[in-house]
Amino acid sequence: MHYGKISPYLFLLPTLLGLALFRLIPVGVSFYAGFTSWNIYSPPEWVGLDNYTEMFKSKPFWTVLQNTLQFSLVFVVSVCVTGLVFAVLLNAKLRGIRFFRGLFFLPVITSIVAVGIAWNWILTPQAGILNLLLEKVIGLTESVSWLGDKKYALYSLTMVYVWKNVGYQMIIYLAGLQSIPRELGEASKIDGANSFQSFFFVTLPLLTPTVFFVLIITIIESFNTFGITHSMTEGGPYNATNTLSYFIYQNAFVHFRMGYASALAYVLFLLTLLVTGIHFLVKKRWVKYQ
Amino acid sequence: MLKMLKLGLITTLILTMTIGCGQNKNESATGGQTKTESTAPAKQQDNVKLVYYGWNPSEEQMTKSMIEKFEEENPNITIEYFAYEPSSYWPKISALAASGNLPDVFEMSSGYVDEWASKGLLHNIQSMVDRDIDKNNYFTSVFNAVKYPDKETGDMYAFPYAWVTTVLYYNKDLFDAAKLEYPKKEWTWDDFLNAAKKLTIDKNGDGKTDQWGLYLFGRYAHIEPWVYQNEGRLLNEDKTKFELNANGKEALQFLTDLTVKHKVSPSPKDITGIKQDEMFGQGKVAMWVDGSFAIDGTRKTVGDNFNWDITTIPRGPNWKEDMTYGWPDNISISKNSKHAEEAWKFIKFMSGKDRPIETYSGGKVPIYKPTANQQAWLETDKQPASKKIILEQGANIGRNSYTKSWSEWRGYAAAKGSGLNGELDQVFDGQKTLDQAIESVTPFANEVLSRK
Amino acid sequence: MKNRKYVKNLFTYLFLSLYGTATLFPFLWMVVTTFKSEGAIFEIPPKLIPDKLFKPGMWDNYTEVLLDYNFLLYLWNSTLISGAASFGQLITCSMAGFAFARMNFFGRGFLFTVLVAMMMIPVEVNIIPEFLMFSKIGWLDSYLPLIVPSFLVGSFGTFMLKEHYMNVPQSLEDAAVIDGCKTFQIYRHIFFPLSTAPLATIFVIAFMNNWNDLLRPVLYIQSPELRTVSLGLTQFQSLYSTDWNLMITGSVVSILPLIIVYLFTQRFIIDGMMTSGTKG
Repeated sequence: MHYGKISPYLFLLPTLLGLALFRLIPVGVSFYAGFTSWNIYSPPEWVGLDNYTEMFKSKPFWTVLQNTLQFSLVFVVSVCVTGLVFAVLLNAKLRGIRFFRGLFFLPVITSIVAVGIAWNWILTPQAGILNLLLEKVIGLTESVSWLGDKKYALYSLTMVYVWKNVGYQMIIYLAGLQSIPRELGEASKIDGANSFQSFFFVTLPLLTPTVFFVLIITIIESFNTFGITHSMTEGGPYNATNTLSYFIYQNAFVHFRMGYASALAYVLFLLTLLVTGIHFLVKKRWVKYQ
Repeated sequence: MLKMLKLGLITTLILTMTIGCGQNKNESATGGQTKTESTAPAKQQDNVKLVYYGWNPSEEQMTKSMIEKFEEENPNITIEYFAYEPSSYWPKISALAASGNLPDVFEMSSGYVDEWASKGLLHNIQSMVDRDIDKNNYFTSVFNAVKYPDKETGDMYAFPYAWVTTVLYYNKDLFDAAKLEYPKKEWTWDDFLNAAKKLTIDKNGDGKTDQWGLYLFGRYAHIEPWVYQNEGRLLNEDKTKFELNANGKEALQFLTDLTVKHKVSPSPKDITGIKQDEMFGQGKVAMWVDGSFAIDGTRKTVGDNFNWDITTIPRGPNWKEDMTYGWPDNISISKNSKHAEEAWKFIKFMSGKDRPIETYSGGKVPIYKPTANQQAWLETDKQPASKKIILEQGANIGRNSYTKSWSEWRGYAAAKGSGLNGELDQVFDGQKTLDQAIESVTPFANEVLSRK
Repeated sequence: MKNRKYVKNLFTYLFLSLYGTATLFPFLWMVVTTFKSEGAIFEIPPKLIPDKLFKPGMWDNYTEVLLDYNFLLYLWNSTLISGAASFGQLITCSMAGFAFARMNFFGRGFLFTVLVAMMMIPVEVNIIPEFLMFSKIGWLDSYLPLIVPSFLVGSFGTFMLKEHYMNVPQSLEDAAVIDGCKTFQIYRHIFFPLSTAPLATIFVIAFMNNWNDLLRPVLYIQSPELRTVSLGLTQFQSLYSTDWNLMITGSVVSILPLIIVYLFTQRFIIDGMMTSGTKG
């Protein structure tokens, strides 16, 4: 379809305007800040590559980077799969399904402070609900500190993140499912396919653009987590739940090392770009448009 | 079609602009006193507007009424006041400083004075203090915390309005139940340990402790008091290096043993998920060390459930004299303020006889002695009964370990997992020995401290 | 056959209810807490029946938050900001998404990459430069910095709609061209109506993000009467204390509008199902 030379830019005008004025200028400045020592309240000083060399030599950075990758992997897989399962379930024609749609979205809305307090109570070894439950069900004898033990802390926190955020992915999938004509699935059922087959061979291929979108968005999200870490563990115990985005916050607004934080941010940026870039490259192989 | 598109764009843009601006105008017209431009022209020649930033939003009403009083007494000065809670406050005023709009007057933490003064952001108020302040009326021993460059001989760059200290909280009912004498000032660490052991109880015999002798929360307000009561230090004399001395290490070893060996205190991982000030308030522990500022919260959680009191931190084997860990909270004048004299007048007002005693409830002590010495400050109708020991500690405040980048090497607040704090948590959790932790934190802390 | 379906539905309901409980618990705790007195909030183990329920003073926290702390005003302010910013995204993102999906032009791949890449840089490091910029152009203490950027550009929304529009069959577009529709009409009458489901989703997400944003309001808003809800919630904290009961009550109050917006937009997602794929 040919739309002429000018109209694409007219359609993009607000986006380009906003991008140039409000996004690219700050990004340019913060990229520059990565090469300075800057505490925000007094002017930045040029230090060349010092921030980057410090980063690669610092032990906390590598711990945090490892946590980030671990977190990201578990988070992305869990959210993308669970979100899809929920969406498919909630797309069913059942009585009261809209009520459950609201219910499943509730964690996304619930305030992060309340989420932090409530989940801390579920996971605490001091008569925490999860431990009490496990005691009754599988006869757990010692109380596990889900967020205080280095072995479990990062995974426990990841699960809370999944619980809190999966509603987003769920409604995106739902929106995607809505655009797939229901008749297609029903037609295949008449042809003798069971619901699993009709989902995997008819619905899912049509949903691939949405799956792709969710995947990319979730990867980006997984590298930019902050709220629940802040309200639950603050990166503890001993940095076991500290991820790059939280580390950036700590450096920027707890230690006031904006220069270092900026350098970290661009390492995080490159990492995200790399991981998402790979997916864009192999996109053609599995994403099918109608 | 093009026209339509353009038109649509322009109208949407204009719409947003006007929504934003319109809102702004409307609200400022109805908003009342906070917008000062519109207040009636008083004396023309020296009308001064001061911008004041504070970190106690929940005391907004009280502060506003103080400001009204000040403005009544000084009709030529108007104060524009804004309050943000601390974790928003610092980004906000840092950003303002970066844009060259630092408020004339703003609240300043003792931990940040050196840093902000060294960057030339704070006004040197020493000459005004010398001129106007009657030393007999103030707790001058805490003034050292706001001096720069040297804590003894430097000049003051902020003026305290209150100070806090650290105390030992104890649950009288649990002591009575165990038929033990209450803690007292002269207590040594042995006395303390003996009591703590007897107060650590497994009530139902399931092998899990239900009541602990002590709750050791390994942050600065819970560790440093023990170190200083044993003549210990975390840093070298001029605070340029992390250098834990033998007395300091002895203190840390004692605290480690309390948790790991004697198990009279829960380890950090045992109580993850519980807000730290709730353990004592819920009667789960018999003793607890924390800042005097926690008195207010403890009153609320305890209510009438049990009797409790406070005393000083037990004395270590190398104790020579009571050395208290405490610090003042302060107000500073911006270096760029064009009205330093008026700002100073305002600070004197905010920290002197006119600051109502209600703002010092619990363990916050007025810097102005006549206010602190009023019977009302002791709040004798409320717990704890021994509040006056806080006043006695005013003379003993001296040592602290604040440095530039303190939050990073010490491991503070939202960065509690890093630095010394993270290492000590590992020790108390039994993941590392104290020696290993010191070995690991020393180079890290020194690198942070050596940064320009 | 029918029996199997019943069993299947039963299992579905069972699962939905089970997970539904897990989603409800923290929310329920939050609501219950608003009827507790200050000392009772953190009791271990937590009690499900609040101590002030059906007793005098039960609604104290709410009246204090809504009236003494001006939350009614903050709710209005936040609704205005989030509404305007998210409304803008519907227009700008769908236009941009349409261009990226259906048009060929110089720099398409590059521009799209830049747009998506903007999501990958943490706001923490861009916010101070952004603040300095808005400070220079005099937009401080107004809603402009909170509305205009979000109004104009939305990486998430554009990306989502681009994927959606790429999935629209070519035949629909061709038919429109044969009918003689011009470019803007094709967008306005064919593509825009086809995307009600994603648009509703974008609106919810944008609304929520703007609603919960704290860093920007902290930096850009000063006047108490311009405060947003998220900023209002920080009023309950001070240097040494937090009024937890008021803070939690404030949180409950602040999410009610989000629930309304969510339920409202859900209608469009259902409607979207009816129309999509069958038109043309």
